[in-house]
Amino acid sequence: MELLLANHSSYPRIGDDAEHQVLRRTIAQWEKKEKTDGDLKAAENQMTEFALREQLDAGLDIVTDGQIRWYDPVSHVAGKLDGVRINGLLRLFDTNFYFRQPIVTGPIRRREAILAEDFRFAQKNSSRPVKVVLTGPYTLTRLSAVEGNHSGGMNGLLDGFTAALAEEVAALAAAGASIIQVDEPSLLRQPGDFPLAARSFKALAAGKGGAQIHATFYFGDAAPLYEKLQTLDVDALALDFTYSPRLAEVIAAAGSSKPLSLGLVDGRNTKLEDASVVARQIERLANRIGAARAILQPSCGLEYLPRDRARLKLKRLAAIKNSLLGKSA
Amino acid sequence: MSRTKLEQLGIHLPLYPTTSVGSFPKPDGLMKARGEFSKGKISHAQLEQAEREATEFWIRKQEELGVDVLVDGEMYRGDMVAYFAENFDGFTQGGLVRSYGNRFYHKPIITGEILWKGSITVGWWKYAQSLTTKPVKGMLTGPYTIMDWSFNEFYPDRRAASLALAREVRKEVEALIAAGAKIIQIDEPATSVRPEELPIAIEAMHAVTDGLSAYFITHICYGAFDAIYPGMLEFPVDNFDLEMSNSGLDMLELFRKSPYTKDISFGVVDVHSHAVEGKALVEERLRKALEVIPRGAVWVDPDCGLKTRSVDEAIGKMKVLVEVAKALRG
Repeated sequence: MELLLANHSSYPRIGDDAEHQVLRRTIAQWEKKEKTDGDLKAAENQMTEFALREQLDAGLDIVTDGQIRWYDPVSHVAGKLDGVRINGLLRLFDTNFYFRQPIVTGPIRRREAILAEDFRFAQKNSSRPVKVVLTGPYTLTRLSAVEGNHSGGMNGLLDGFTAALAEEVAALAAAGASIIQVDEPSLLRQPGDFPLAARSFKALAAGKGGAQIHATFYFGDAAPLYEKLQTLDVDALALDFTYSPRLAEVIAAAGSSKPLSLGLVDGRNTKLEDASVVARQIERLANRIGAARAILQPSCGLEYLPRDRARLKLKRLAAIKNSLLGKSA
Repeated sequence: MSRTKLEQLGIHLPLYPTTSVGSFPKPDGLMKARGEFSKGKISHAQLEQAEREATEFWIRKQEELGVDVLVDGEMYRGDMVAYFAENFDGFTQGGLVRSYGNRFYHKPIITGEILWKGSITVGWWKYAQSLTTKPVKGMLTGPYTIMDWSFNEFYPDRRAASLALAREVRKEVEALIAAGAKIIQIDEPATSVRPEELPIAIEAMHAVTDGLSAYFITHICYGAFDAIYPGMLEFPVDNFDLEMSNSGLDMLELFRKSPYTKDISFGVVDVHSHAVEGKALVEERLRKALEVIPRGAVWVDPDCGLKTRSVDEAIGKMKVLVEVAKALRG
């Protein structure tokens, strides 16, 4: 089995030296109207290039743009849709990070491209494939509130987000994205909603063209849902192993008919994993994964770590692969 | 109801005692001093002098407003977790991580055995108490929250880190009691975030407070109260300081289903809004609390720390809640 190394999604947009604080400084000045939109975009581009370079330097096979331009994983996507306004701060799951809550005020419609331009910029600056990360319709539904009586309840809301993001998936595929990661962390907290999420994934897949859809779950225990996740109409599953002592055993017992992205490196804690221990975990799983390829990546976005530690986590992915191949790191 | 305990401790409070959650905004003079200190323009002693002046400002202001149980306002703290991490052995300051939008903070990393090196808050508590005859609360951050808001590279799991912190936080509680503090607040705002870890937070609080003679308060905010209530009543504290107004008092519905059995510091003003609530609204909130909770158990305070408000807004919010509490005493 071939093992590819990937980033999960986000990457720190700041570091402790002045060079890595350009975006923070520029946003603060832009808010005071001392910098232009062009200045802001240039700073975002610069930090995106830094993020890409650090991923490539670490030896990753699949990179992301680091979501450097994202205010948060929820409002960045939902805020670009018609029928949605963005409200106050709420805690993102069990993190110490806050997102702005979408308020659905009318029919949800995709009025413009959301991520295609960012994808093109990142791909132009990367020698490796750039994975696009899209927060999924189910999670957006769960983390939104509704104003008025127009939404048709939760089903209506989910259908609205799904239809809008299915258009986005098709546009990203047309723009050349080969992997579109769809993040649905909320499903792990509401496993009873699996049929709703499955219907949504099916609709997203309809327009994916030649792109792969990687359904991605984190910030919760995927073990109880694992066998159902295998039935999703997607090309791969990405799972967070840090919340579940049982997940590796469940996969070893049930196998996998889909390629898996193994979130075995903790994206929420600075402690570095023992490469040989993780390599042995992968070995145990490898025989049970049907596909010719698996992906090793952090358990979640790396933005929850300081930059120096995020960089070390990426390097640890390569050390784990080397350990697996019997090379010294 | 813990009024008997307070009396035994020599604390005599009126009906509906008024207090605040802990932090007040830093006055302009202190903000300027902090900026100059970070640029190396003034000495640590000069910064501390500015912190003492700001502490005195808030003690005088609380007395002037008629607040019953005072706080030092935390003029000497930046962040409620980083402050303690900086003062315990076993922590390393981590690099910047994002809190939201364009806001970042240094998240501490537990890299060794956590050890209490000596009193952290006692000097400030003594100073604040020396300025007033009213009781001043000792103010600490709880072990579960310090654990949850830090990275852990040393202890095998979250429970082990929480209990190690609890053992050391207890030493600070003992030092506060030895200095004369009778009311000690140990904040655990992280408790409501991972409901499945409520037993860890409770076990840690036992390790902090068991067998110690003080009236204990804990502040919990933001999160899934429906998932931790009524289990949270097992916390070994006398009083929960709760954010009630920001969530439309919806916790009262939980209290109706399962009786609330402790004293409560009932948040009657929203700390996230600039607008100072009118007396009628604050009174309505308090009257709703009294429909569900026995009157002798109710304290009155803001939802959360007021440090993000302006000095005038914070004073305005404290003034209205004191006036309403006094009027309701009759």
